[in-house]
Amino acid sequence: MIEPPTEAATIDGRSIVPEPGETILAAARRLGIEIPSLCAGPEQRPAPEWRPEGGCRLCTVEVTGVERPMAACHTALAPGSEVRTRSERIQSVRREILRLHLSSYPRLHVAPETLLGRLLAEHGLDAPERPLLRDRLDESAPYLRFDPDLCIVCRRCVHACSEVEGQDVFDVAERGASVRLICGEDDLLAHSDCTSCGACVSRCPTGALFDRDRDPLAFEPATSRTESVCGYCGVGCRVAVESHEDRVLRIGGVEDAEVNRGHLCAKGRYAHAWQHSPDRLDRPLLRRDGRLEPASWEEALDFVATRLSRIRDEHGADALGVFTSSRSTNEAAYLLQRMFRAQLGSNHVDCCARVCHSSTALALQQTTGTGAASASYVDVDRASCIVLAGSNATEAHPVIGARIKQAVRRGADLIVIDPREIELAGWAEHHLALRPGTNVALLNAIARVLVEEGLCQKDFVDQRCEGFDALYEFLARSSLEEAAEITHVRVAAIQAAARRIGAGDPVLFVHGLGLSELVQGTASVMALTNLGMLTGSIGVPGAGMLPLRGQNNVQGNADMGGMPDQITGHQALADEDARARAERLWGSAPPLEAGKTIPEMLDAAREGSMRALWIQGEDVAQSDPDETHVLEALDALDLLVVQEMFPTETAARAHVVLPAAGYLEQDGTFINGERRIQRVRRAVAPPGEARPDWEVAQEVAQRLGANRRFEDPAEVWDEIAEVAPRLFGGVSYARLEGDGIQWPCPEPDHPGTSTVHADGFIRGKGALVCVDHEPSPEHGVEEHPWLLVTGRVLHQYNVGTMTRRTPQQELEPEDRLEIHPGDARRLGIEEGDRVRVTSRWGTTEVPADVSHRVPHGVLFLSFHQPGSHTNRVVGPHLDPASHCPQYKATAVTIEPV
Amino acid sequence: MTEPVRGGAAERAADSFFEDAHWEGVTRVCRGTSCQLAGAEGVIEARATLGDCRPVHCLGYCDRSPVALLADGRVATGDRAARAEPELADAALPDVRWLTKEPVVTARVAMGCHSPITRALDAGVWSTLPQFLARGPEAILAELVRSGERGRGGAGFATAVKWRACAAAEGEEKFVVANGDEGDPGSFVDRVLMQHDPHAVLEGLALCAFAVGARSGIVYVRGEYPAAAAALERAIEEARDHELLGPAVCGTDFGFDVRVVRGRGSYVCGEETALLNCVEGRRGEVRLRPPYPVTRGLHGRPTVVNNVETLVNVPAILSRGAGAWRALGTRASPGTKALCLNAGFARPGILEVGFGTRLRDVLEDAGAEGIEAVLMGGPLGSVVFEEDWDLPLCYAELAERGIHLGHGGLVALPADTDWREFVIRALDFARRESCGRCAPCRLGTERAFQAMQEPGDPREELEAIFEAMRHTSLCAFGQLIPGPLESVIQRHETRIFGP
Repeated sequence: MIEPPTEAATIDGRSIVPEPGETILAAARRLGIEIPSLCAGPEQRPAPEWRPEGGCRLCTVEVTGVERPMAACHTALAPGSEVRTRSERIQSVRREILRLHLSSYPRLHVAPETLLGRLLAEHGLDAPERPLLRDRLDESAPYLRFDPDLCIVCRRCVHACSEVEGQDVFDVAERGASVRLICGEDDLLAHSDCTSCGACVSRCPTGALFDRDRDPLAFEPATSRTESVCGYCGVGCRVAVESHEDRVLRIGGVEDAEVNRGHLCAKGRYAHAWQHSPDRLDRPLLRRDGRLEPASWEEALDFVATRLSRIRDEHGADALGVFTSSRSTNEAAYLLQRMFRAQLGSNHVDCCARVCHSSTALALQQTTGTGAASASYVDVDRASCIVLAGSNATEAHPVIGARIKQAVRRGADLIVIDPREIELAGWAEHHLALRPGTNVALLNAIARVLVEEGLCQKDFVDQRCEGFDALYEFLARSSLEEAAEITHVRVAAIQAAARRIGAGDPVLFVHGLGLSELVQGTASVMALTNLGMLTGSIGVPGAGMLPLRGQNNVQGNADMGGMPDQITGHQALADEDARARAERLWGSAPPLEAGKTIPEMLDAAREGSMRALWIQGEDVAQSDPDETHVLEALDALDLLVVQEMFPTETAARAHVVLPAAGYLEQDGTFINGERRIQRVRRAVAPPGEARPDWEVAQEVAQRLGANRRFEDPAEVWDEIAEVAPRLFGGVSYARLEGDGIQWPCPEPDHPGTSTVHADGFIRGKGALVCVDHEPSPEHGVEEHPWLLVTGRVLHQYNVGTMTRRTPQQELEPEDRLEIHPGDARRLGIEEGDRVRVTSRWGTTEVPADVSHRVPHGVLFLSFHQPGSHTNRVVGPHLDPASHCPQYKATAVTIEPV
Repeated sequence: MTEPVRGGAAERAADSFFEDAHWEGVTRVCRGTSCQLAGAEGVIEARATLGDCRPVHCLGYCDRSPVALLADGRVATGDRAARAEPELADAALPDVRWLTKEPVVTARVAMGCHSPITRALDAGVWSTLPQFLARGPEAILAELVRSGERGRGGAGFATAVKWRACAAAEGEEKFVVANGDEGDPGSFVDRVLMQHDPHAVLEGLALCAFAVGARSGIVYVRGEYPAAAAALERAIEEARDHELLGPAVCGTDFGFDVRVVRGRGSYVCGEETALLNCVEGRRGEVRLRPPYPVTRGLHGRPTVVNNVETLVNVPAILSRGAGAWRALGTRASPGTKALCLNAGFARPGILEVGFGTRLRDVLEDAGAEGIEAVLMGGPLGSVVFEEDWDLPLCYAELAERGIHLGHGGLVALPADTDWREFVIRALDFARRESCGRCAPCRLGTERAFQAMQEPGDPREELEAIFEAMRHTSLCAFGQLIPGPLESVIQRHETRIFGP
């Protein structure tokens, strides 16, 4: 253990106490002293995985008492030492190194805005007047361009790709003066493992690696820079949006952001072309004579308010329902549920969390007392053991996926539970490739090994949990052999993984929809939570439960009350204090009885008892299971109000379409998967007459007699904090600069909560639960012997409404059915062949992707393209408790077309 | 554990780094300093007309320059190097002499080849190991501390300090590595030891492993020394048969085995971290230090890397005792050093001297008539002119004059040396062998080489380049390349650049 030094050192005469192992470069940066470097990345706060390259030697400094100059990037700052960063000798060798670059790369064009250009100027060297030749470009990939003429082999990209994204696309060939950057197998980015994350571009000091949508000759002047939050997945990366005249020029990661530390994925960094897509909805549409036609906002809003009132008057409030949007802001979701509950008197409020993590939320709520992540992303860095269950993080949550790779590189053990050979399975110590829909059996088997072999944290369980004896007896009744037969995972593999999980250190459980989107979804997450308690992991830093949330604001949407049985802040409808606050603030309290869930509302619509639905930013026609059934339901409505950015399948069925602003175009807040409330800011104007969702909800609410008019989203948030003081009482916009705050944050001086349940479970005692494996209704269906899993791929986002309108579509142009090569051979299916997939619920045709990623008998299909109709095939089964659909196991047959 | 090599580019990156990639069936002609001075360019020209031929920097026969290594592994030296069908030079040992009370490291090779284990055992090789297996690791370390032994590879680091650090390092698995990458043109003693006294290398390595707690060892042999690698592989087999290597060394519970790793053609891989990268299948670039190999070496495990000559010294030190060893050298540099004398001397060969011997005595023994200077310690060493010939050969006193003994290769530079050509050839070597990791070295060596060819006076530019290289290069290669060139330029400015 290194004792923290207390003795100061000086850098250019300024005193600083070095942190243990801190380099001179890092310490100088802390002092705001810039030591020039071409190879050290811009990391303000070097992550543990960041290794210095030490190649450019520009950061050489003088250390008193040391004869030779030392490289600041890999020399520790010794207490008591005196460092001079700009002596005459140092400046002269730096100038010579820079001059050598110019004389050694005769085709190097130096743009003054680049880092190299700036360093030349600082050292009194003129950039040579050379043309930018651009005749050797690699433009094989849609976003990134490589120009070997501009490459000075500083290797920043090599480090960024390896240490940030974990991809190792780049390396260096030859030696001496002949060294050159190479990538992949054949030096074409498109053929390499490049994920287009752009980490290399953001660090390149010369523009050799550059965004294709920008011209390296013209570094366009960005006239505004707006810090906001990415609007794709629930990771919630902080972005800096540079724009000019209401057009996005580029998006970069915020370097010191807690969530993403400057990193972004291809979607976050590059996929913003949807913003000016020609088919953006830019004025309201009203259905007249069966056709959607342009209308004024006044007409549209009046129409919505009038029709809602009329339907309520004729059929009662029970005939009205709303899906609040997980893509929009908290303020938008809050106002919409407020209007339905208070002005219209309906609790039929739900959100798309229903069809993804509702099982997770319910299970965690019941067992721990909070239906959200107990841990934070920072725990990925701290963890010594990570269990990744039912989550393909590198594709669905790329920035967290990359962070898991970083953790593994630092020595954390990874255990992957997933039917497919996902990318992270290749990084894992143990991969349990279970049969789809058998999580409960597998997780119970692991629990059995823990209990049987004395690998539980007995003190934690005794002091903090309840139900251990019952669980012990319950587990004793099962056998590992049975589990192996159900899950298709060998007993020895279960034991080996369990022994690592029970090795004694707390474990971080990162989980996803592979657990929740099953009839046994809630049971699966409860069985996983059992492991969290048995290993003493919940409420402990570097460990706990970390479900990865799908949409940018799906956590926030549920937190705002986008649920039929809870109002804002996860407060029960029957909670007297909550009701009193709602009545005071909203003008009236919500009905006592819980409303319907999304599947129930759709059922009710088809039956005719639900007459009006308001769908905010969600394309249920493509995203929800049993597509035929969904379309019938929508078509049966008297009123379908859709707030949308694009003419989706759902919007096409609407009576009113209200054009919406996207995440780059509005103010408000999102809450990410680690409960972090962050500010979203308008970077560019929405197109035409499109308006932020919160404004639209407010306009209709006004027409329905709302008790209050809000001036801006900040006022809306203040009311949210007042309605739900336990989670949000201490949060105001003034406190949401920078990295925001993680709820719960009950008081203005409360710092927010990184680790929930740290002082004991919120529920009181953590509940160990006995849940037995039950065969899925899709298991053992004789005439449909294959099991289909549906899910997401890296370069598309959900139903693709946005990503399909960007170059992402080029990276991932179609949904393809993954099938094991042995199965494909047996059926005579070859790569790219069209295949018909048929379940008891529907059929579709898609091209085949013959791949070892899936085991025998299992198929995988994404659902990003409307033409794939993946959800025609997915059946109607729901988890009975959470009403989450079973997307992750459907019995099908397949045949070549 | 260092992370595995991932990604499609990594393998290409490593393969393209090394010279040897596609050298099956090719004749290698030595272009080391000694052979250069003996007319290597003529040999290359003559050979090029006979078929595939590649110039390499030093084959380790500097006492018989020029030299060619034929595709079938045979060696042709002197006048025969350029011939289509050379009558082959015998694989005879170089002339081995000494200027010390008793020879140590060359004691056996002076008597001929001790490659067969029977001869090695007769000469007492492998007799020290069993004694010290019985006495325990600490006995080895303590004796080594007392001996003051310093590594013979060039840096002169205290061997006992290195071993102790590795012995103390945490780690289940540790490695020991014999560094047989004798890259300095002008040195060939390690080749001779590996080829003709391989059991002594293995015994030294086994003692090292026992002392630090390693169970596996590697002898890294330059790709240019195929006969040495083959001799070591034979010796390893023999040692296993005699239970001197294997799961139970000498019937004890100490298990230790060794494999030979052949270098792939890179001077920089003589540096220990670059060597380890090469063994791991990576580019032979130096690593940033710290961490040092003794804590994080091969595959991230604690590792001792020692030069071949150092390891051969170890059994001799332990069997004689530290006191006897110290009596052979000076206080600060105990023991002896094997010097290599190239064909430019009247009596070339290997000369083992006690530390403290005057350079002039060495040169007199070697026959240095008509010689203006000696290049000592290879391209990173020093050009020593006559005013420094009275200095004693030992690390400290040479260092005071800015002179590097290096690995102890001495190349005679005659009075009629073409100094301009000398500088250009040295820069050509440097630019070809620079690993490319740090900018001042990879760009500076190339630019300096180009500047020497271009019209105009390059002196100012060379000065600036050398200044940057010396002060900022990542490793000793870039830092030390300018030294000998600057002293030559200073002495012979007009002969090099004109009046």
